[in-house]
Amino acid sequence: MIAVLAAAAQNADAPVYVAQNVAFGIIAALMVFSAIRVVTTANVVHAAAYLVMVLAGAAAQFILLGAEFVAITQVMVYIGAVVVLFLFGIMLTKAPMRGEEFARRDQWLAGLFTSVVLFGVLIYGLLDGFGRSKIPQDLQPTLTGEVSDSIFGTYLLAFEAISLLLLAAAVGAIVVSKRD
Amino acid sequence: MPASLLAVTTETYSTPVLDWHALAPLVILMVTLGLAIIVDSISARRTSTVLPNLAGLGMLAALIPVLTLAISDDRSRELFGGSFVVDRFSLLMSALFLVAGYVTVLLSTNYIAEGDYHEGEYYFLLVASVAGMVFMASARDLISIFVALELLSIPAYLLASWRKRTQTGIEGGMKYYLMGVFASAIMLYGMSLIFGGTGHTRLVDVGEALHGSFGSEPIAVIGIVLTLVGFAFKVSAVPFHNWAPDTYEGAPTPITAFLSVASKAAGFVALIQLIFVGFLGRDDVVRPMMFILAALTMFVGNVIALRQTNVVRLFAYSSVAQAGFILAPLAVVAADDPAVLSGIVESMTLYLVAYALMNLGAFAVIIAVSRRTGTGEMDSWGGLFSWAPALAVTMAIFLFSLGGIPPMLGWNAKFRLFDAVVSAGTASAYTMAVIMAINTVISMAYYLTLVRRMFVDDAPDGDHTPIKVPVPLVAAMAITATVVVVAGVIPGPLSDLAQSATLAIAG
Repeated sequence: MIAVLAAAAQNADAPVYVAQNVAFGIIAALMVFSAIRVVTTANVVHAAAYLVMVLAGAAAQFILLGAEFVAITQVMVYIGAVVVLFLFGIMLTKAPMRGEEFARRDQWLAGLFTSVVLFGVLIYGLLDGFGRSKIPQDLQPTLTGEVSDSIFGTYLLAFEAISLLLLAAAVGAIVVSKRD
Repeated sequence: MPASLLAVTTETYSTPVLDWHALAPLVILMVTLGLAIIVDSISARRTSTVLPNLAGLGMLAALIPVLTLAISDDRSRELFGGSFVVDRFSLLMSALFLVAGYVTVLLSTNYIAEGDYHEGEYYFLLVASVAGMVFMASARDLISIFVALELLSIPAYLLASWRKRTQTGIEGGMKYYLMGVFASAIMLYGMSLIFGGTGHTRLVDVGEALHGSFGSEPIAVIGIVLTLVGFAFKVSAVPFHNWAPDTYEGAPTPITAFLSVASKAAGFVALIQLIFVGFLGRDDVVRPMMFILAALTMFVGNVIALRQTNVVRLFAYSSVAQAGFILAPLAVVAADDPAVLSGIVESMTLYLVAYALMNLGAFAVIIAVSRRTGTGEMDSWGGLFSWAPALAVTMAIFLFSLGGIPPMLGWNAKFRLFDAVVSAGTASAYTMAVIMAINTVISMAYYLTLVRRMFVDDAPDGDHTPIKVPVPLVAAMAITATVVVVAGVIPGPLSDLAQSATLAIAG
């Protein structure tokens, strides 16, 4: 966060959309806070609610970048379907609302070590690769029509394969979950 | 900006040019899938021979356009601006997947019918997975590769948990699914970093960008490593192999054969395409990573295999170790040496074909034997020669071939792997060759232990009544054993085939 702001200050004279960059920072801070709460809160339902915050923040960032189609998809698929599925799963399985302490201390340490190293490597790589990038003033939004053109043009075969994949997944899921 | 949100697109849409001949194998598989659903829902009897025949014929029919494409004059056909390429490499690999799928149908016919499993959906998912593999063989684009991987994996997750009434079946399927989804997420993140840096999804463009300024950035290295890790899971390379033994033991045995052969080969096909078309600009990253993966995979797989008492688990670890052998040539990729590069692709394709045939054959014998013994324990294999001499001899052929004893096919293929590694001529290449030699010896130990049990030991209960092997299993064994022996004695044609299986890199 601080590093992003520092990088933004570094070439402040470049023509940028100030309002968009400020909004980016505020939403990013909210997302980081919510993401930390997802894993630290003890109540599973609260965690799902914080997850909605993170996903809605991501959708808002996509709007700022002019990617309207991705933003709407993010809201419909992740908030509309995935989180609702989580909540249904929590309610239907009668899972305990409070989390349990299950990680042993050595697992906990190994997990901490791995995540800290991974975090450091990724942050270094991302800042080095994209740290100086800003939302430019002449940002052109990606039109949904262009997205559909590439789906039914360049990626036609992948699109067809996905429809096949969903059919196979639905058929298999019914068989595996069916009681017989 | 907001005013333009709802504006009509300025670019005009141009219909993509479809080369139906190049797409024919996939189209035939999709038609088979549609027919399978319809036939399954209108057939009155739940257990019929219609569906296995339909699935098998569908895969054989898809082989026809593969053959006509192979004898046509075009060296390569590119669709969608080069994100779907049909070249000699993809044709040979498609043929491998289709034959492996057909043999899996042969292995499944009696197993699934007698086990009271859901039959129609089983073959439907099997064909769907094979369609994903055939798609993978031609996918030269990050999005296509990802979609192909999911299309071949998700039916495989479901098939692995087909024995849902048993604890091991559920456990194996669940582990495979969770680990697979985890690996997919890591891989997708790596792909998104590469796309973010290059702005391209086509592997050719990614390759060009890696030669440029993006190639020297740390983010490129992270992207490459994360993407390759996802496929290291798919080929069950150590340390991403934890799922393999439990999944192989819990899944229906024909599916175990399918996973250990076709699914693994698809992972290698993706690795070859990614590395040779996309990531060659950073071969200094790929080389050490593949060296560590290959060495660890061979040692861990072989050493743990030595201690196994269950035949299916033995083959699970054996297939982990074999994956290490196939990975080994990738540890010497050198972008500036075309001879080494073509040697690597050639030896890997040859070994993939050889490994697929001998492992499928070995699993056919395992299924035939466990039809009588009802268990996978190695003790039950004692004295196999006295009550089923043909099965014992066939199994010995496959075991010798897996171990790399002449004149079987496995020997020739393994020799080519050594040749490809040594021809790089660097210190790490010679180290890798030594590691491979040590591991070949270790692997011989457990393959020959099983041979000794079959020929020397006595039957555990003194029961020497001969067993009856169903026709589809005999056919599967006959196909694979014939090729393993004939192509071992006369290595020329298959080697030429592998040699011609070059990737259409340019373009």
